[in-house]
Amino acid sequence: MPESEGFGASSGFSYRQRHKLLSMTEMAIETSALAKTYGSKQALEALSLEVPSGEIFGLLGHNGAGKTTTVNILTTLLPASSGTARIAGHDVSTGADRVRRSIGYLPENVQFYDNLTLAENLTFFARLSGVPDPAARIETALAAVDFTGHGQELMSTFSKGMRQRAGIAQAILHEPKVLFLDEPTSGLDPQGVAKLREIIIGLNQSVGMTVFMNTHLLAEVTKTCTSIGILSSGRLIYQNSVAATLEAFPDQASLEDIYLHIESGTPS
Amino acid sequence: MNPWVATVGHELRSAGRERLPQLLLMIFIGMTAASAFIGSAAKATVTEVYNSAAGQGLTSAPNPFGNVPPLYYARNTVIYILLIGALLAIVLGVQSAMRDRRARTVDLVLTRRLSPASYLSAKMAGISLGLLAVLGTSALISAACISAVTGTIPAPDQLLRLTALFSVAWLFLLFFVALGMFSGIHASSYTSALLIPIVIWSVIIFVFPLLGTAVHPVSLLNPVTPPTAPQTGIFALTAALTGPLSLGEHFKHVAAILLQDPQATGTMTGGITVILAFLLAGIGSVVLTGRPSMRKEIHD
Repeated sequence: MPESEGFGASSGFSYRQRHKLLSMTEMAIETSALAKTYGSKQALEALSLEVPSGEIFGLLGHNGAGKTTTVNILTTLLPASSGTARIAGHDVSTGADRVRRSIGYLPENVQFYDNLTLAENLTFFARLSGVPDPAARIETALAAVDFTGHGQELMSTFSKGMRQRAGIAQAILHEPKVLFLDEPTSGLDPQGVAKLREIIIGLNQSVGMTVFMNTHLLAEVTKTCTSIGILSSGRLIYQNSVAATLEAFPDQASLEDIYLHIESGTPS
Repeated sequence: MNPWVATVGHELRSAGRERLPQLLLMIFIGMTAASAFIGSAAKATVTEVYNSAAGQGLTSAPNPFGNVPPLYYARNTVIYILLIGALLAIVLGVQSAMRDRRARTVDLVLTRRLSPASYLSAKMAGISLGLLAVLGTSALISAACISAVTGTIPAPDQLLRLTALFSVAWLFLLFFVALGMFSGIHASSYTSALLIPIVIWSVIIFVFPLLGTAVHPVSLLNPVTPPTAPQTGIFALTAALTGPLSLGEHFKHVAAILLQDPQATGTMTGGITVILAFLLAGIGSVVLTGRPSMRKEIHD
């Protein structure tokens, strides 16, 4: 998407410019000794993580590793038991409202309101975010996810892949600095996965949006992410760029092999 | 547009497109319209029987229906509000809460700038406005039907009383909206979300008055005459305990006074106080819902 087509163009100060100014002074995501317990179960243990602005960060881990708990805390949906987390410089517990203005979020399996059109759904979420001119911003967001012309269609007619694209459109309506995606490719066919990858990379490259995604699809991580972290039983056991990771494990054929190798507890 | 106002508009638009509330709405308005004609038919039948009896010299008493006030014809509306109106309100409340849970949009809302209390109060306000429109329409239809039956337009004070009746009905029904929303937020499935408030409704409308008066259940569908509680034994105690909780009886009493029923005695203060207390408790229980409760998944 050209910079002149929105995401801050009307302010005379493009999203990319604003974002670069921010990236010089702050990390997009920082956590320190972040922990979460559910009763006696330790879901997240002393998570310390730094994701610089402009990254596409993939958080990997087996089921129950604590990925969704992490996203829930970072998106202010869940309070942490201890530790701190900052998004775009704002603390998730003391500055939750400012964090919410800075993030876009697409949860796993979001369905939207079926008896409303896509445009009506997006208008509602734009207004909840305080977007001053929802119609113009919706047009820009739909263009960003290659969905122009679908605004008047009822959500009930949308496929899973179309709903995911609509989900990303709602998440970027208010020009967030950080986009959180929880299993964005879950349940999509290969064409849907490829389209979503194109959209995510497009958003990152055109406006410098930081993307934080949970995923199981390791082949997809190689193609989409610039850096990864691996959670195992609530602990972060690995974090590095994708390029450095592939270089560091020359004897492993793929990121999947590297992941299994690290998960088994024998990192090189 | 302010997020709170946007939520009110969203609620109205979403509820307006759902079929079950539409169906109940049509039934409710239809029954309100029928109420005046049912009253008129009852009056005509009794009058015919009276004239026949009087013609045969069987009675010299005056026709009991000879001088009923025009608002008499709206008395059945009270029962439709208690039955169909309350169910409509419960369905609206349940659907409102369940809509977000089914669409899985709660997290999208909670990661934006509106607090749970603001969001839920805006949803309630949206339904309240919708319900106000329904009751306003019903009031107009009721006035038109009374005019058609009596052949004259009701006097201004009678129109005012009719307006007051539907205003009290609005407050009464809002409690059931809140009850439905509360259940829709907390229940684990759609079925239980609907069933639980309906059980509570039947307890408030039927069981509590029965416990306090031992009246025949069918008598509770009498729109005006309040059941008389025995003043001795266990009923003195149960009447004291369940009387204030018998929301339907309080509504019927207030409605009877507003409709100028000759059998209605006392004032409306106690009844309106109980209706407002129920409403405040209902609104409080909804708007004080925390984020974790709002995020619970359904298991349908």
